[in-house]
Amino acid sequence: MTASEMRFAGSDRYYLDPELAGIVNVALQMEKPLLLTGEAGTGKTQLALEVARALALEVEVLRCKSTIKGEEACYTQDTVLRLNDARFGSGGTGRDVQNFYDYVVWGPIGRAFRAGKKVVLLLDEIDKTESDVQDNLLDILEDCEFTIREINTRVRAEIRPAIFITSNAKRELSDPFLRRCYCHHIAFPSPDQMHEIVKLHYPITSPKLLKAAMDIFYQLRDRGYEKPPATSELLDWIGALERRGALPDPKDLPLIGVLLKRAGDIQAFRAKKFTRE
Amino acid sequence: MSREPYNALFVDFVYLLRDYGVPAGLPDLLEVNAGLERGLVKDMDDLLVLLRLSFVRRVEHMDPFERAFALYFYGVDIPAVAEGDPELLRTPQFREWLARAIEKGDLHPLARWKMSPEELMKKFWERLREQTEEHHGGSKWIGTGGTSPYGHSGFAQGGVRMYGESRSRSALKVIGERRYIAYADTNELRNETLRQALESMKHLRRDGPRTALDIDATIRRSAKEGGEIDLVFRQEFRDRMRLVLLIDNGGESMTPFVELTRLLFGKMRDRFENIETFYFHNTVLRKVFSDDRRTRPVETEKLLLRPPDTRVVMIGDASMGPDELVSPYGALSSYEMGDSEPSICRLRRLAKRFRKTVWLNPIPRTHWNSPHTPWTLGQIRRIFQMEDMTLGGIKGMVERLSDKTGSE
Repeated sequence: MTASEMRFAGSDRYYLDPELAGIVNVALQMEKPLLLTGEAGTGKTQLALEVARALALEVEVLRCKSTIKGEEACYTQDTVLRLNDARFGSGGTGRDVQNFYDYVVWGPIGRAFRAGKKVVLLLDEIDKTESDVQDNLLDILEDCEFTIREINTRVRAEIRPAIFITSNAKRELSDPFLRRCYCHHIAFPSPDQMHEIVKLHYPITSPKLLKAAMDIFYQLRDRGYEKPPATSELLDWIGALERRGALPDPKDLPLIGVLLKRAGDIQAFRAKKFTRE
Repeated sequence: MSREPYNALFVDFVYLLRDYGVPAGLPDLLEVNAGLERGLVKDMDDLLVLLRLSFVRRVEHMDPFERAFALYFYGVDIPAVAEGDPELLRTPQFREWLARAIEKGDLHPLARWKMSPEELMKKFWERLREQTEEHHGGSKWIGTGGTSPYGHSGFAQGGVRMYGESRSRSALKVIGERRYIAYADTNELRNETLRQALESMKHLRRDGPRTALDIDATIRRSAKEGGEIDLVFRQEFRDRMRLVLLIDNGGESMTPFVELTRLLFGKMRDRFENIETFYFHNTVLRKVFSDDRRTRPVETEKLLLRPPDTRVVMIGDASMGPDELVSPYGALSSYEMGDSEPSICRLRRLAKRFRKTVWLNPIPRTHWNSPHTPWTLGQIRRIFQMEDMTLGGIKGMVERLSDKTGSE
């Protein structure tokens, strides 16, 4: 499958806004990394995984942490193991101390570049890394190539992976980094879109319950809580309500802990009881 | 399609974007061309997507981009403000619409006085909505309204007219929803946008976790192991900042902003080693106060003893009588404080001691140069970097506070 043939049109588990579909497809065809930002719970990570599933591609995921270094994402050399083998022998493991590659552990980027076929590479929550790590990744992602320092050998992707990057913060990424990506901010779904999403997840739940839950959900969001409930909270809540088997009573909302996560928000909610204006 | 025409077509668009504050450049334009050559654009929806991906990197530029797109390709001039915002009355778009409507006889010549601002605003938005609806279906390249400064013929020559039913919603209708307006940099800081501002404050961090080689421990351990080298790492000392907040809580107008700022910095507590808050009235005199009723005085000189890399944020409207700022005994309370030194000297000393100082002003930046703005604001602006309480202002403040250059 060449880049120009790939088109993503949503899947049975993921509601794809037509506009977002356009964006994903432009990124796929231009072979540029797509940086997705947006509130938690808007399906940034999920999008990359669903693209891979729909196009039947394998996924390599780098879950970023603040301690991660750019090199680790490409490869690490297991020096300790090699030292150990040099001293005590590698036994029957088949490793050869003379062979550098026997002690290389490939990171997600390394695996994606060496896959020899089209894969999806997801760099999840890139904003958690240090900014110099992001700078290191810049050229690697742009050229689809990195160098193994120890033996001064370049690893190059013959087939560029489809790169997705997610970020929760909007400003921490540097301008040069942003320049190398297509950036899209996923806006919070409108009630209509949310309805589609909810229907995908709960196809047999009674429309009455869905409607009641969504009305309450959007009113709660308007109240300006510190951590307003997002899509995933709504989905959990509907699931919980369904198991309970009763319509939510607006005067005494059940299972509020599923929707509001912060202690301060829950207190604020209790102080001002939910009433339907 | 030959290559020339759409080069020319989008060059103008790049300049328009730059006018709207979107930093678009040549590489972006080449990107667009590459996309067009690959046949990615079949209708207006595709064009909107391709142009936006190529030109917009930051969510705060999203709304300006969409407005520029609507103007350039549809001739629909959308003002920068949200619906319901009385600022609309000041925008050129509103004025032009009003003049035009009166000219055409749609409105009474004295409509501005005969109708309430609310009514006028409603009419304006209705008209705008009609305009965006007219284009629904995306079958036209540019609008029929003819208000666009970019003429119809300019595009037609290029032969890039695209007719094609939109797959879903027309590009213009999408723009009309103004989904990104809450993120625009010119927005005032409100509870809803607070989260956005908080995110920008994540910048306020000088060093992340890093591991440093502990040489002493390494030698000790290696000796113990009989010469086998054993590397020991330790957590590098994490440098955290001190922050002094100086808040003008003199006037009633300041009250909502005081709460907002304290909330803002309170949330960021873990970024700072400590946060101290002091209060003053209009400007800093010999004493500031450690409580908001201004009963517990603290000598301003004592503040100056803080380490020089302490961050200082002043919050106030910088508006007072000129005497209060520049004359000895200028302020009413300077007598009781026995304060002969003009306040401006104290401000200068603060700015000199603490390089990373920002003055946050609730008066929007656009009004700072107006003739009605108190003279003192301009004076204080010469001493401190002044930012307004918009998302852009907070960003500017964060940049100043986290500036690493020349701190020590």
